[in-house]
Amino acid sequence: MRRTLVTFLTLLVLWVLVAQVNHLLGPAQVFLFAGGLFVTYAALMLPLRDGLAAVLMAGLLCDATEPVRLGTHLLLFAAAHAVVFNIRDRLPREETVARVIVALLVNLALFLALSFVLVGRGPSPGDIWPRLILDLVCSQLFLALVAPWFFALQLRTLVLTRVERDPLA
Amino acid sequence: MPKRFDQARPFLTLALVVLGWLLVPVAVKLFTRASFFELQAPLTVAASYARDLQDYWTLRLHSNSELIEAGRDLARLNASYEEAVQQNLSLQAEIARLEELLKLPAYAHYRSEHARVVRRDFSGWWQQLVIRKGRNFGIPVGAPVIFAGGVVGRVSEVYAYTAVVELISDPSVRLAAVVEGENQPISFQGGVNTSFDAPKGVIEFVPLNVYASPTMPKRLVTSGLGGVFPPGLNLGTIIKVEPSLDGLYKSGEVQLDPRLSALTEVTVLVPLNEQ
Repeated sequence: MRRTLVTFLTLLVLWVLVAQVNHLLGPAQVFLFAGGLFVTYAALMLPLRDGLAAVLMAGLLCDATEPVRLGTHLLLFAAAHAVVFNIRDRLPREETVARVIVALLVNLALFLALSFVLVGRGPSPGDIWPRLILDLVCSQLFLALVAPWFFALQLRTLVLTRVERDPLA
Repeated sequence: MPKRFDQARPFLTLALVVLGWLLVPVAVKLFTRASFFELQAPLTVAASYARDLQDYWTLRLHSNSELIEAGRDLARLNASYEEAVQQNLSLQAEIARLEELLKLPAYAHYRSEHARVVRRDFSGWWQQLVIRKGRNFGIPVGAPVIFAGGVVGRVSEVYAYTAVVELISDPSVRLAAVVEGENQPISFQGGVNTSFDAPKGVIEFVPLNVYASPTMPKRLVTSGLGGVFPPGLNLGTIIKVEPSLDGLYKSGEVQLDPRLSALTEVTVLVPLNEQ
């Protein structure tokens, strides 16, 4: 329970940070999506139940603050968590580079899935793809930059709250 | 535990989550949505106050002579606004007199509620703002939101002390509009908002006698139909119209105000009969 809440708190911090960056990028009509970061650490490093609970809460947070049908992020995040959790033993998950690559791939998959779910809302769905591709490129660059810091933040928070043992100790 | 079951465990859990989600009553889902929104609201609002404080300290760096100049300009502006207020009052009295004389139904009346923007959320999928006023200021769902350049959008969700505004550039927003000075209604919809460019909208069911081009643009205003927006509010500029495939109407493109993407303050028109 504590592990879930602490992990969710770090995801809440990430959500606030991304929301603030998107607020500042608003005048340029650029949008950053960091769904991959909400899932990756929990799926790679945490036990199934604790990680999934934190990811589901993050999904509900994203659903509550964005004009999508409630459950959209929740189910997409849950599916991404299941896939990554299933293959995590075959990945060098202790290495930051591997985690970043997984985060980038998950982010790409979630962005495309969300695009296919929401693209029909507009008057001309075909014309929106250049904008979405630019957003995706910016999101991937942003994610590659902040992912190592965010994974370290998650680990240190879990260590400070005595949920996990310090791997350096 | 058999290895095969262990491998399938995440997917079985996922299936249980999906099943559980489908069985959850709608009331519980709505409560969950409101709870999670209110959970993050203090953080977003605190960030907006921090930005305001940042702006305040930035303004403190201005010299006294700059402030005196700004005060002088503001005094001139205030004088012209005071004159406009006087004219407005006499025009309102004239309208009321004519309504009484001709037994016309009165225009809907609104209370203006100014609100700071706490979060801009402009993706290719949606375009929305969060403002720093909600139920605590009597903001109702569906209220029109305007700014100096015209229509911003309408309130789509209201929470304890914040509200969400759906912008007119949102691809899912539709409303009835007219070309300024004409009375044939046109369907307006938020369009594709490309990066590093002003937001756009599209129009459909444009009468064949309407012509517009980038060199000869036409102003698009709200029609007042539908009862959400008062008539005559600026929506944008029609920069292109061309015959639609059926040949019965035209369709076109509307350039929205570029300031729409950088709003820091908006005005919510709260209908007085709501209270």
